[in-house]
Amino acid sequence: MRKFLIGFMALLTHIGLAQAHSLDDVVVVLDSGDARITLINQATRQTIGSFATGKEPHHLMATPNSQDLIVANAVSNDLMLLDPKTGKPIGSVPDIPDPYQIGFSPDHRWFVVNCLRLNRVDIYRYDQGKFQLAKRIPLKALPSHMAFTADSKTVYISLQETNAVAAIDLPTQTVLWSMKVGETPAGLWLTPGDKTLLVALTGSDAVVAVDPRTRTILKRIVTGKAAHNFRSMADGRHVLVSNRVSDTISILDMDTLTKVGDITGLRPGPDDMELSADRRWLWVTFRFARAVGVIDMTTRKLVDVIPVGKSPHGIYFYNRAPFYDNLPPLSELAQRVAAAR
Amino acid sequence: MINPLDWISHVTSLLVGEVQTWVFVTLVQPVLYHFHLMVDDDFAYDGVLWFLAGLLQIAVVYAVLRPLEALRPLEIWPNRRAVRVDVLYTFINRLGLINLVLFFTLQPLFDSLQEWLRLRGIDNINLDMLWPGVTDRPLVAFLIYFIVLDFAGYWYHRAQHQIQWWWELHAVHHSQRQLSLWADDRNHLLDDVLMAAFFAALALLIGVPPTQFVALSLVSGALQSLQHANTRLSFGWLGERLLVSPRFHRLHHAIGYGHELGHQNNARLYGCNFGVLLPWWDVLFRSADFTTPLQPTGVRAQLPAPDGLGEDYGDGFWAQQWLALRRMARRIAQRTTARTTDSPRKPPSGGQTA
Repeated sequence: MRKFLIGFMALLTHIGLAQAHSLDDVVVVLDSGDARITLINQATRQTIGSFATGKEPHHLMATPNSQDLIVANAVSNDLMLLDPKTGKPIGSVPDIPDPYQIGFSPDHRWFVVNCLRLNRVDIYRYDQGKFQLAKRIPLKALPSHMAFTADSKTVYISLQETNAVAAIDLPTQTVLWSMKVGETPAGLWLTPGDKTLLVALTGSDAVVAVDPRTRTILKRIVTGKAAHNFRSMADGRHVLVSNRVSDTISILDMDTLTKVGDITGLRPGPDDMELSADRRWLWVTFRFARAVGVIDMTTRKLVDVIPVGKSPHGIYFYNRAPFYDNLPPLSELAQRVAAAR
Repeated sequence: MINPLDWISHVTSLLVGEVQTWVFVTLVQPVLYHFHLMVDDDFAYDGVLWFLAGLLQIAVVYAVLRPLEALRPLEIWPNRRAVRVDVLYTFINRLGLINLVLFFTLQPLFDSLQEWLRLRGIDNINLDMLWPGVTDRPLVAFLIYFIVLDFAGYWYHRAQHQIQWWWELHAVHHSQRQLSLWADDRNHLLDDVLMAAFFAALALLIGVPPTQFVALSLVSGALQSLQHANTRLSFGWLGERLLVSPRFHRLHHAIGYGHELGHQNNARLYGCNFGVLLPWWDVLFRSADFTTPLQPTGVRAQLPAPDGLGEDYGDGFWAQQWLALRRMARRIAQRTTARTTDSPRKPPSGGQTA
């Protein structure tokens, strides 16, 4: 009887531990300066492990079917594939030169790689997990972030050194146009209906709103010093922008193109952000503080800081709020893609 | 159980991280923002780490080697005045100023070269990925890169002595007749930039991760300071053959023996003991000398006649820099003249002959 009780207790403990670690609650953080990945338990906010990846992992994203999480190792020239739920390595894709920023077109046909170091944009055809190079487009200088139109015909690329944004036609893989937008443009964001392209100016204290059809700057929205990257609040109306020098996150109203709030009191270098599925917790990497933070969106206060490695950049977790504002839900996209095939 | 090494590494990383963040956010980032240089903020953040690591290295090296120089000096000098300029060289080099120059001058060229190579399918090698699970362990990767870079350093150093115009730049290093813990970084700035560019390109080619590159530079710099220290320190028979010792390197600095062309020493080439950190390459390529007794250091041309030419290599920083450029120009001119007149080559007046 005693043996049975001990065994039963052990089984319960095992189930409890298994639940604690196998639920879809792992936060994946890319420590770009250490070439490592830190895994954090989303619920307890405790670090649960770290492992080596390729050199300079900066950004990550899930594949269109959400089966794999792609980590782009810029200096190793490869992609590492992780289980998006557990963060465990499951494979790799070699020979993808300088993958700094990566993105899939909404129709899942195109995989775009911004080669920041090599000053070019590589466009791959994507089919059932295979990447086939379609074209390399030289684009000076420092192509960094990207945004796709909902019809998958155009991708916008920010060019940090030339203070410009370029538009690339995906079906023909040609540069349609480029325009000056302001100092050191980084993050790009399309508002619902692809009406306005928001461009975060890291060399300035603002986001500029661009009408991509007329190629005119509609408005300059002052946010904070070194506006850098965007994250949807997933309410169809607001988008967050991190400000890397003022150490704040601004909340923008996409309808009125105005700033409606600031989250202050952050650690140095807020960069990439991820929002929990219930919209309550905003996770953010602090690029210059070797840490990630957790912000309670109901109070807009930083409630937790978790030490990670050097230069944490990309961050991801499976249970997250929808990422894009200009695209329909993933389920609808998947149906469209299936119908197109 | 917590591994003490992991714990030390973790605490050091936290401390360095805090200081790096403070320096960057308080002193560097506002300047970048003000002067519209935010495009380089990632580089600047890394640069702060170089700066702090260099500062720490100088402090540690001084704390360890200066007492040794005072307690067990090899040479007794009336004063250390000639050493002062080497302190300036050390701060310039180890606090990252050369890397800064390199970044703003040659980085675009590097990027273009990489771009050009990649477009033609020529990739970097990533030595640490040759045997996943083994070579990518941090310590193993460190040792691989240490050995490969040192091998390249050996041949680079030989080229500095063999190519005549280059020797005139490198002679700034050899012109110090009072070798001390500060002497390692006494180099011509152009020579420094060339060397930094060479090793940065090589590191990129073979895939040295940035953090490993910082660690390699720190270890290399500390060992090279030790090699130049004015102290009686024996590594023993075996130690001398494993790692370049102060004695081994001091012989390389010996006037008319260790480093100048045309002499007839036992090492057969144009000098001896060119190894940077490992003497293995000197043994392998027959340029090692472990036996010859130590001799005064410097460049022969510095000596008064009849032993030398009494040539001035400069006492101050700018004089040394300028005179080296002048010697280099003279070498190039002599070579050009010799080519155009097709006359037999005469020994130059710069001091490379026995």
